[in-house]
Parts: sequence; C-alpha cells; structure tokens
Amino acid sequence: MDGVHDMGGMDGFGKVEVEQNEPPFHARWEGRVLAMQRAMGYAGAWHIDHSRFAQEKLPPLIYLGASYYQRWELAMESNVTERGFATPEELKAGHAATPGKALPRKLTLDVVGAGLCRSSFYRQQQGPQKFKPGDRVRTKNIHPKTHTRLPRYARDKVGVVELCHGCHMYPDSVAKDEGDNPQWLYTVVFDSHELWGPDADPTLKVSIDAFEPYLEKV
Amino acid sequence: MLLLPLGGDRSRAVKDPRGVLSDFGITLPKDTEVRVWDSTAETRFIVLPMRPAGTEGWSEEKLADLVTRDSMIGTGMPLNPGEVK
Repeated sequence: MDGVHDMGGMDGFGKVEVEQNEPPFHARWEGRVLAMQRAMGYAGAWHIDHSRFAQEKLPPLIYLGASYYQRWELAMESNVTERGFATPEELKAGHAATPGKALPRKLTLDVVGAGLCRSSFYRQQQGPQKFKPGDRVRTKNIHPKTHTRLPRYARDKVGVVELCHGCHMYPDSVAKDEGDNPQWLYTVVFDSHELWGPDADPTLKVSIDAFEPYLEKV
Repeated sequence: MLLLPLGGDRSRAVKDPRGVLSDFGITLPKDTEVRVWDSTAETRFIVLPMRPAGTEGWSEEKLADLVTRDSMIGTGMPLNPGEVK
C-alpha cells in the first residue's frame, strides 16, 4: 500500500541523531515487546509480513509519532485482535475473559534458544527462473492496496539484475493470507540518475531485492 | 555499507547516502563509489570493516581490537593502529 511507511528518498526529517553508547533497549517494556514478538513468531500466530502490513495500516499520525518498538507493539495488538487471539476488551482489561484460541506451539524456556533463530524463507520453486544476472529489467508500475516490498521510489525504473537468491516466500501473498506462493528473488541495481534524475550523485548506485512478479523484461 | 532501519531521519539514505553518513561523522572521498543495498526482502548482509593501513601481518586477535560496533554496521571506520595500545 502507498502509505507513510514507504518513505525512501523523502526529505525534511532532519539530521540523524546519533546516540553515543546506545543501549539495546531504552526502557524495559521495549525488551518485553521484542520477546513477545519472537514468542508469537515461534508460536506460528502470524508471519513477519503480517507484522509489517499491520504497521503500514496504522493511521499516518500514529505511525509517524510512534517509536520503533511502539510500532511493533501496535501491530501486535492489531494481529492479536484481528486473528481472534484476544478481544480489544481483554487487552484493555489486561487479562483474558475467555480461554484463548489455541496456538500451533508455544515458546517455553527450554526452547527459547531455537525460538530466537531466524527461520528459512527459501521455498521450492514453482516455475523456471525468468531472469539471470546481467539482464536489463523494468520494475512494474504497481500500486496494490495491500502489502508489497517494491518501494515507490523504485517503481517503473530500469535496472540490471545482479544476483539471483533462489526462491523465497512471497510477502505480497503471505500478507493477504494467500500462502507462501514462492517466487524467484533478485538483487536489481539502479543507476542514481534513473532513480533521482540528472542532479543525482553520480557515484551512487542503489539496489533492491525484487521478487520476480515485480519485474518485466526490457 | 550502512546498516540502518530505513525510516524518518534515515529515509534519505537511498538518495543521499553521503549526507546520512556525514551525520555519523564520516566524509567519503568524492570519487568513492557508494552502493546502497536497500534490504527489501529477507536476505541479510554482514559488513566487513575495511582493513586500516599499517596492519600488514597482524594476527586475527590483534585486528579484532580495531573493530568497533559502528564499524560493524557501517556507520564508522575501524580504529587505526595508533588508537589502540
């Protein structure tokens, strides 16, 4: 969706504020949010793309005003309620009113090490690889109302395929609960002028990781 | 390579990475090629800090003393030989 989250290339946010000796968490609740996110991921309650899509659907002023871990927490609230794990009333009360929906599995202390490991995103191919390194491709001019990982700044642009990463689960389908729908994934490199016009930094090249459905032959 | 969550103050990283790096106190030579890898899928990257001059023949342990947190996420250079005891 064309939301405020897709801010690559936007100006006006000011200088990066560099924090010296930045701690892992700035408050105890941030660590708890990370732990809850990992626990729900391990439980198979929803996928990372559902978390991203839920963040994107936050009202723009909320999104822009929230910190990194606040956004995680707000997205978790959406997914917990939309997927029937708890009701908004239960969240407000701070305890369950009815027995919750069963989870496929639970993150318990004995499996916490494995639970923190990243799972694989590779999937069995469904069809032949369309592009190879060196091919010129154009990204599609698409504006789905749902989650996509093709940033706005890189739509309808010509670039060159640099790498093929194999087949991965396709976020655009996963976020819609339409299954893994595995797609070939490529690193596509763009010249700065293609993305940012004649005044762009001539020493700059930008690449994205693009799923095959985002690309067409030039 | 710069590893940053893209958002707010980092949003211009894909257009003006030199400007973002200068916020971190890094000024690159004008002719240095800059490559931004926008991590838009689940592939992940690791940063190898550039080996400082004057470290020829150093052991792995000695080189490790030059590595900083910032040099591992691309927002700083590793220490120079003169900066460690």
